[in-house]
Amino acid sequence: MHKRKAIIICFIVLCCILPLLVLFMLSFSFRWVYPNILPDVFTTDNWAEFLFRNNSLQNSFFTSLLLSISVSFIATITGFITAKWIAYHKRKNLLLTLAYFPFALSPVIFAVCLKYYFLKLGLAGNIQGIIIAQLIITFPYCIIFFTSFWNNKVRSYENVSYTLGSTGFTTFKKIVFPLAKQFLLTCFFQCFIISWFEYGLTNVIGYGKVQTLTIKVYQFIGESNIFYAALCSCLLILPPVILLWVNKKFILQQSR
Amino acid sequence: MYLRLQNISKTYGSKEILKGISLDVAANNTVSILGKSGCGKSTLLKIIAGLEKENEGSILLNNIDITNRKPSARNIVYLFQEALLFPHLNVFENIAFGLRLRNENKEDIKNKVTLLLQQLELETEALKMPDQLSGGQKQRVAFGRALIINPPLLLLDEPFSSLDVETRSAMQQLYKSIAVAYNITALFVTHDLKESLIMGDKIAYMENGSITVYQDKKDFINDIKTGVAGEINFWNSL
Repeated sequence: MHKRKAIIICFIVLCCILPLLVLFMLSFSFRWVYPNILPDVFTTDNWAEFLFRNNSLQNSFFTSLLLSISVSFIATITGFITAKWIAYHKRKNLLLTLAYFPFALSPVIFAVCLKYYFLKLGLAGNIQGIIIAQLIITFPYCIIFFTSFWNNKVRSYENVSYTLGSTGFTTFKKIVFPLAKQFLLTCFFQCFIISWFEYGLTNVIGYGKVQTLTIKVYQFIGESNIFYAALCSCLLILPPVILLWVNKKFILQQSR
Repeated sequence: MYLRLQNISKTYGSKEILKGISLDVAANNTVSILGKSGCGKSTLLKIIAGLEKENEGSILLNNIDITNRKPSARNIVYLFQEALLFPHLNVFENIAFGLRLRNENKEDIKNKVTLLLQQLELETEALKMPDQLSGGQKQRVAFGRALIINPPLLLLDEPFSSLDVETRSAMQQLYKSIAVAYNITALFVTHDLKESLIMGDKIAYMENGSITVYQDKKDFINDIKTGVAGEINFWNSL
């Protein structure tokens, strides 16, 4: 019985890891001709190209990083503040329904609807435009995420703090922030992942001029360059894996 | 009078919660306010603490008009039904919270908190987190957190209502002794008849947003609407 269970677990683990291993292997390959089981040439050239020579790939990596960090930072902070305002508002339910609105449409359809305005405002085809476009998705997500934090209990803690002589800023620093720290980090990570893997909005609003890693992956697949596509995919996986590790190592440990 | 409420009114939409409440509280006295749920007791306390804004009226504390002051500038501490200890701070830090806000030096904070922990019989719990305490212990810590800053007025909003009978009785006795030791002036809101009689030097009864203040306990007992007479008849008929 135990053996059967172990085999099933191994199979599931293998199903999860195998595609990643293939991706990793492909990023170190050069030629793979049918019907060979393994690639003909294994080389570090692809990675060396990315690390030392190919500025375009490096630019894409750092553009994606800058974009995702900016989007998650802005969305988390503004979402946290706006969620408080909504949670304590008389018309909380109506305002919260509005926050769900961007999720009623797919991001690509949403981007097509907004494309005209982005063009008029000179925001199409540049990084600022993409940050704003991605905020249209991540900002309401943060609002929905944080409305569960701003409950009556937190409000009561704030009130206790005020009556003990604390100002709004001190209450935030000494009470609200320590209570919200884990929520803020989790929300930041989730927004980062949403932004990092975002393709539709970025492609439509960026007009292909802003070359993020996801755009590059599709580009290489279109060119049938599976080795560079695999390399880009490995780079795409890297930050979320690091975030997951950080999350498990520090945040989950703290919450125990 | 130490605390003077003058014609306090409050409405939510079209509903009138408080109808021109006037009340005087003498220094070092506890006035207990008895009333059913929803009669406006908690709203009145929140207005005094500055957590809610009144539509009309004024609040004078020690002859100073505090009506338009922020809660943090009133120096009035509100004790809720729940202890509401800050969950990320241990017992010592919860009690020391008000002193740290006032930038008192570390040695003074340590001495004051240690002394209060002894008086509240919590010295062995100092390093415990709130989730490691019983309901009664939590309320004692909440008391300590309020008392340590020596507030001119304490507002108690049914602080013992979630405790079992024995703990509740012990907490009532503890409050009475501390009130004398620290010269506390307080408003004690409750819906429990017996508690209102035990806790108050003076008793008031609130109904539909209006308040009746009794001269003494005899007047309170004789007034049919307080329900004391009915209670006495019930026990006598057994």
